[in-house]
Amino acid sequence: MTDLTQPRPVTAPVRRSSGLFGIDLASPRHARKLGYLLLLPAVLLILGILVYPMLLAIEISFHDVKFATLSFGASEYTLKNYVKLFASSDFWNAIGVSAKLLVVVTSISMLVGLGAALLVNQQFRGRGVARMLIALPWAIPEVVAVITWLWILDASFGVLNWMLLKLGVIGLPISWLNQPLPAFSAVTMVMVWKGFPFISIMILAGLQSIPEEYYQAARVDGANVWKRFIWITLPCLMPVLGVSLVLTVLWVFRDFSIINVLTGGGPVGATETLAIMTYEEAFSFFRMGYASALGVVTLVICALISAFLVKKTSHAVF
Amino acid sequence: MKLSKTLAALLLAGIVALPGLAAAETRLNFVSWQKGEKGYGDWWQAVIDEFETTHPDVKIDFTLMPRDGYSDAMITQFAAGSAPDIVHLTSFEYVTFAENGWLEDLGPWIEKSGMDLNGWAGQSVCEWDGKTQCIMMLYFGYIMAYNEQILAEAGITEPPKTWEEFLAAARATTIDRDGDGIKDVYGTGVHMVSANSGWTNDMLIYVLSAGGRWTNNEGKVTINTPETIEGINRWRTLVDEGLVPPGGAELDQLFIEGKVAMRLNGPWINAFLQKADPAIQPHLKYAASPMQPPLGGASNVLTLAAETPQEKKELAWEFIQLATSQKFQELYSELGASPAPRPGAVGPASFEKVPHMQLLIDATNAASAAGVDRMPKGLEAQNNEFTKLAAEQFQRMIIEKLPTEAVAATVQAEAEALQ
Repeated sequence: MTDLTQPRPVTAPVRRSSGLFGIDLASPRHARKLGYLLLLPAVLLILGILVYPMLLAIEISFHDVKFATLSFGASEYTLKNYVKLFASSDFWNAIGVSAKLLVVVTSISMLVGLGAALLVNQQFRGRGVARMLIALPWAIPEVVAVITWLWILDASFGVLNWMLLKLGVIGLPISWLNQPLPAFSAVTMVMVWKGFPFISIMILAGLQSIPEEYYQAARVDGANVWKRFIWITLPCLMPVLGVSLVLTVLWVFRDFSIINVLTGGGPVGATETLAIMTYEEAFSFFRMGYASALGVVTLVICALISAFLVKKTSHAVF
Repeated sequence: MKLSKTLAALLLAGIVALPGLAAAETRLNFVSWQKGEKGYGDWWQAVIDEFETTHPDVKIDFTLMPRDGYSDAMITQFAAGSAPDIVHLTSFEYVTFAENGWLEDLGPWIEKSGMDLNGWAGQSVCEWDGKTQCIMMLYFGYIMAYNEQILAEAGITEPPKTWEEFLAAARATTIDRDGDGIKDVYGTGVHMVSANSGWTNDMLIYVLSAGGRWTNNEGKVTINTPETIEGINRWRTLVDEGLVPPGGAELDQLFIEGKVAMRLNGPWINAFLQKADPAIQPHLKYAASPMQPPLGGASNVLTLAAETPQEKKELAWEFIQLATSQKFQELYSELGASPAPRPGAVGPASFEKVPHMQLLIDATNAASAAGVDRMPKGLEAQNNEFTKLAAEQFQRMIIEKLPTEAVAATVQAEAEALQ
């Protein structure tokens, strides 16, 4: 038993640091301040390279300026850019193309990504090589990959037309990049090729986290492959599928380099998305005010889509 | 303690020496898409070397910026107030900078230095808003490069000299050798990818040959005139009959690979021909363009930024004077394999090194005499918008098989609206 009557040993008082501006950040009372202090560099960086340019773009969109110099604010505020934008057929065409591309590329990429992940999740010889090959398109720099595709898709001497002709699938070479439908298909094909590996990798990670016991129990209950996929695999993958969907949608919406290198938005606007149109207005026609208005509208659309998707998939994600 | 003393001594030495070093060396920024390019890049380097030798206290920071995205990057630099000290632009984009007041009026500089620009090829293009905004670095005329072997295979012994002969030769040299449905050789090539100036420039070759123009000398749009429509139809015949690669890209590359028989292009095509396979190269020859007057015009310009500090402006002007001197203009003709704009700048060395130099001179003179330029007069400031809208309408014409007259009328109306 401890003798409580014994005097307690005398210890030297703990010497606390005087801290920043005399505030002891190590004390629990100031723990929150320390947290903010540690966050400060990142916050400043985000404010400087993300928030400030975004606010600047929003302000420029309310000025009728050709070139955005630091003196653009001298001109008066106007809604002219937005009025012109919503009356422009090119803008509505770009909205339509972006939406079409969003639906087509996202759905095909998700399906191909899921299929590829399920495939390489099976046990077979050479599985490691197959996994590496699936990830390869994602690892190749975008512009390098697209230039290679340009040669593959070349209407005169491209290998794709040659193969299709040799196989008897087509009777005449297809002008992949000079006709509206083939150009849209070519852009879709390249975007899916570039985008599906990321989805596959995400889903593969998700597949490997599903406990094997679930499948064993299902087998005991007599569930076939299809039922096991529908009732075990898909529900368990929902969190991963939700995140992948949001990221893919945003990637398709803002992608610029694939379309710019392949078709430049043509022919006759068949692949002109909002990103391409914004670039063209800013750097070909030098209408920075108008281009900023386009950028702001794109930002709003992206935010709305993200909010909707996050809300829809949040029960799965969180 | 000892370390502290050493550090203090180094710091002191640095403080004393740095201002001295800074004063000893002035740096001039020079950005170009031609750095490292065979021919023109070599010439720029020679000018820089000479300038640095004669100005030991000045260094030129010569930076490569690829042609794709060049104007975007330059606009960003100008807008941010950090324009290069020596400004290199293409002739079709300088107006955008001049219109915004970013370029120096070179008139007083020319007058002060006594520079003689009489007879300087294409210099009139640099006059904008009543000021001399730049010095022309290249004015050219198109020539024809052809594959003699392919023409001979088709039974053609002489390169074509007229549109009719050219069309016949294009038909004869569009060949499917193995009968597999894929053409192995195309008669010629026209730009058919992105709707940009590549379309309007290539079409203009045929429009000029039929006596048409996009705009006349007064700047009035003339796209719906019978001559221009005839020219568009000539171009259309080549496309509709499948005499050009449907991909419409990398045409110079296809030419040096022996997949295109005839190629109409500017003097820079020579750089491509140098890269051809040794088995093909001996068959690649030059002739005058069968389309007369040939397409031609201003290519690129050199100028100063209005906001550059006076001291640096003076040095940059000295650089421009050196680049435009007789010695370096002769070297330009020799290394660039194209006649320099300065009168009398093509010396014997150029003729020796560039056997087709006379063809280039004749083409330049022919284009100049006809007042030809790729940039339509009256649409200089809206050139990018014009080329986009025109190219898109002509693309639509081919895709939807629309009548040429109707499309020309649409482009005419849209171009007038731009003005």
